[in-house]
Amino acid sequence: MELELGPLRGRRFQAVQEFLAQNGLTPPEAPPAFTVTLLEEGRPLATGSLDGGVIQYVAVDSGCQGGGLCAAVVSHLTRQALQEGREHLMLCTKPENRALFVGLGFYPVTETAGMLLMENRRNGAADFVAALPKPPPGAGPAGAVVANCNPFTRGHLWLAEQAAARCGFLYFFLVSEDRSFFPADVRLELARQNLADLPHTAVCPTGDYLISAATFPTYFLKDQANAAFHSAELDLKLFAERFAAPLGITLRFVGEEPLCPVTRAYNRQMMDLLPGWGVRTVVLPRLEEGGAVISASRVRALFQRGELETLRPLVPGPTYQYLLEEYRHGASGHSGN
Amino acid sequence: MKVVKAAVSGTMESSDIMVTVAPNEGGGLAIDLNSTVEKQFGAAIRAAIAETLEQLGIRDARVTAVDKGALDCVIRARVKASAFRACEREDYVWEVRT
Repeated sequence: MELELGPLRGRRFQAVQEFLAQNGLTPPEAPPAFTVTLLEEGRPLATGSLDGGVIQYVAVDSGCQGGGLCAAVVSHLTRQALQEGREHLMLCTKPENRALFVGLGFYPVTETAGMLLMENRRNGAADFVAALPKPPPGAGPAGAVVANCNPFTRGHLWLAEQAAARCGFLYFFLVSEDRSFFPADVRLELARQNLADLPHTAVCPTGDYLISAATFPTYFLKDQANAAFHSAELDLKLFAERFAAPLGITLRFVGEEPLCPVTRAYNRQMMDLLPGWGVRTVVLPRLEEGGAVISASRVRALFQRGELETLRPLVPGPTYQYLLEEYRHGASGHSGN
Repeated sequence: MKVVKAAVSGTMESSDIMVTVAPNEGGGLAIDLNSTVEKQFGAAIRAAIAETLEQLGIRDARVTAVDKGALDCVIRARVKASAFRACEREDYVWEVRT
């Protein structure tokens, strides 16, 4: 048996795509960052990929199951992740694979009818949440906002102010996943600066947990048409069980979504599902400026076109300072060309 | 020796053990073992891990081990390899010449 490690190329990528499809999985359109493939005479027998801290596209030939190939694949992926400096790994799979991955050192985080999220750290989610700040005694009902803030706008500030006024303690969660235009540490730092004066509010990272629902792997779902619906359900259950319950959060605040149909569907689902776990969803109207709602995508578009004066009314002071410095830095970086 | 980074050795294949050794500054030794033979040999495996690290003079480390029924000598070898990697040390002597 041959072993191949690294990014897939050309015909090998095609062969792995076909192998995944044969095993009832939806193959990726582009090669993942790192893939392990075990082959016999050029034919894949087992494969698995790593994308950041998420293991995905794991498949073992039906004739070889129970032969430890999955263990070999996951061992290689774990070693690669550690070389990239990642100790904490997550994976998302069908619930019936639970025992298989429990045997490989993974622990369940949250499970829905069709999806199971696991991590390679015992009590990882519980320990992470236990380390978050707690409301002072007698603070009243706790609320939460989960936002990407890419970057932090006056709309976010307004949402936080409105939310804080409606609860006794506000958790303002910043999505920690580093897939956005502005890096996670910058987004978190700007949220901290912009919300420094807001009373009874804690700005917290989501760690590896409240990942944007869009990035939960769904390649193993048969129901691909409703993949977004299923991953949003997993995301909401994770929030409710792992964050809201232990932290006593009973209110989730979200901005109205007049623009993006995906976000609107997610908000709808939030309103439908969260009450079942004792969390009420409060939809707040969006702040407008110049006849249109303020959105981070609008700010990004202006920033990329270098229209700093036009975006200035859309963002609070600290965000503007950061964008201005970034713009100058970028502009001076190109001046030599 | 002092653990300066997370490092791993071994695999999760049958009869092997995958051992990750990571820094745990001032936190002593924390061992998280996941073993197919936990009931019969859990205590013995933990003792083997702790003893091997102690012999290397490592006091602070977070160890995660996924065991698939490895023999005692395999456990000690994997722990040693992970420990040297985690301490970024290469001055080991695997072979004693007589």
